[in-house]
Amino acid sequence: MSLKENLIRIFFFSIAIVSALLLVFILFFILKESGAIWAQVGIINFLTKSTWQPMATPPQFSILPMLVSTLWVAFGALVIAIPFGFACAIFLAEFAPAALARLIRPVLNMLTGIPSVVYGFLGATVLIKYLEVSFDLASGESLFAASLVLALMVLPFIIANSENALRSVAQEYRQASIALGVSKQYTAIRILVPLAIKGMLGAVILAFGRAIGETMAVLMLAGNTLTIPFSWFAKGEPLPALIALELGSATPGTSHYQALFATGFVLILIVIMVNLSINLFLWHWQRGL
Amino acid sequence: MRLRNFFDSLLIGILWLSGLFILLILLAIIVYLVWRGGPFVSMEFLLTSPKGLPLGSEGGVFPAIKGTLWLIGLALAWSLLPALATAIYLSEYHDNSRIATLINLLIQSMAGVPSIVIGLFVYALGVVALGWGISLLAGSLALAIMIFPVLAISSRDALQAIDQDYRLVATSLGVGNSYTLLRIVLPQAVPGILAGILLATGYAAGATAPIMVTAAAIIANSSGVLLEPVMALPYHLYILFNEHISLDQAYATALVLVGLLLIINFLALWLQRLSERTNAQ
Repeated sequence: MSLKENLIRIFFFSIAIVSALLLVFILFFILKESGAIWAQVGIINFLTKSTWQPMATPPQFSILPMLVSTLWVAFGALVIAIPFGFACAIFLAEFAPAALARLIRPVLNMLTGIPSVVYGFLGATVLIKYLEVSFDLASGESLFAASLVLALMVLPFIIANSENALRSVAQEYRQASIALGVSKQYTAIRILVPLAIKGMLGAVILAFGRAIGETMAVLMLAGNTLTIPFSWFAKGEPLPALIALELGSATPGTSHYQALFATGFVLILIVIMVNLSINLFLWHWQRGL
Repeated sequence: MRLRNFFDSLLIGILWLSGLFILLILLAIIVYLVWRGGPFVSMEFLLTSPKGLPLGSEGGVFPAIKGTLWLIGLALAWSLLPALATAIYLSEYHDNSRIATLINLLIQSMAGVPSIVIGLFVYALGVVALGWGISLLAGSLALAIMIFPVLAISSRDALQAIDQDYRLVATSLGVGNSYTLLRIVLPQAVPGILAGILLATGYAAGATAPIMVTAAAIIANSSGVLLEPVMALPYHLYILFNEHISLDQAYATALVLVGLLLIINFLALWLQRLSERTNAQ
């Protein structure tokens, strides 16, 4: 191989590796910025105490309330989105007339294209108003409202990926069912879904990662209070909302500033762990087949 | 047997409803936004600056549109070439498959990083440490990092979708790798890559959290000066709603933003279909 070809190869390789290592750099940089807060507060205290009061003397930093809010909102969104998403995926993969499926698929793409601030805005003006009026609440902002809107936002991901999983089940199962006179419904629910369930769960994990990192919708809907939520209908402030709201007012170098970066580090760790688990999961699944 | 039939039809009913519900959601969002925001969108709204007291309760969103265009344009300028080079490496030059797997994994993880964390990173590095302040430069950089994995993954897939035979024939004729790439593989992948660019553009145009901490101001000229803050459509919408400035203006802004994104997405889908058709031939 010529020298020129080799140089070109090295050129592409170095750009690829530098770009990919940017993620590692981001991780280290955020960890570095969080600096002394880990030693000052202690990892355990940072994760398990119940007060976040950056302005108090001495200031108190613990992200447990926000951590609970984050998980509650995200799991809540999944509970709402899963039955609906799976039903829609089964419909698209097995039952929908081809023309209708061709219409629904791009619509899913368009729904992902609508920005989260618009979902948050519509949720706040329509859904929250509705909750306030019909349940006679003083304020409809709650983890539940955030979950509901987040469910709508992750739905297209769940549907598209579950449909792929269902479609990748070998055609022979469907043919054998037809040959045995088994109904299409029975085949779909009792045969195809169990065969595709791992791929469908992969779709759910992916959606979970999205829901955890989502900022604008939860910022506008969850109510933003810094206490531990004890119910789905309580207010809360998920981690991304905390960062977005307080970063601008934290003076660089102060413990408040450092605590926000520590929060960001925890958030990114959770998301990366979710991401790695899905990769491992899919890898085992593909080998298992 | 009758019970079985009943359950079977019930299931079909549920599945149909869930499928149709998806169509209903998009339709409802569009119709509602047009209904509430449509009357307030005019040429004047698109082409004037926010006015009135509180600022933004009258006037238009021109600086926000300009700012969003600047942010997207610069974000693409920073990230397009690195993303393309990464995609080319992953698709054409990955002789060491372990390193390629690692790079793939890192880029996939990057795609999962919450946008607010990217904002946090650029805030510390650009806004604070390098002293740029809240600025167009910092915001476009945050968006560039955010769309990089989208661009890299979609371009990689577009390149990999090109029939392997072209590469084999080129090699067997003694044509160099770089010539094959530049003249044969890359031109065919262009529609797929363009579709990816459009998707990334839409993603960047709607992103609020990263620019909220790095670039956005409530009011600015958005004339393209790198070290000045800019206005942006999604942030403007957030402010109009959150500061209770004007709900009508907020609906109109949301309509403009969603309209823009739907057009971008529609074009992306059309290009994607086009590239699938050419690859199938």
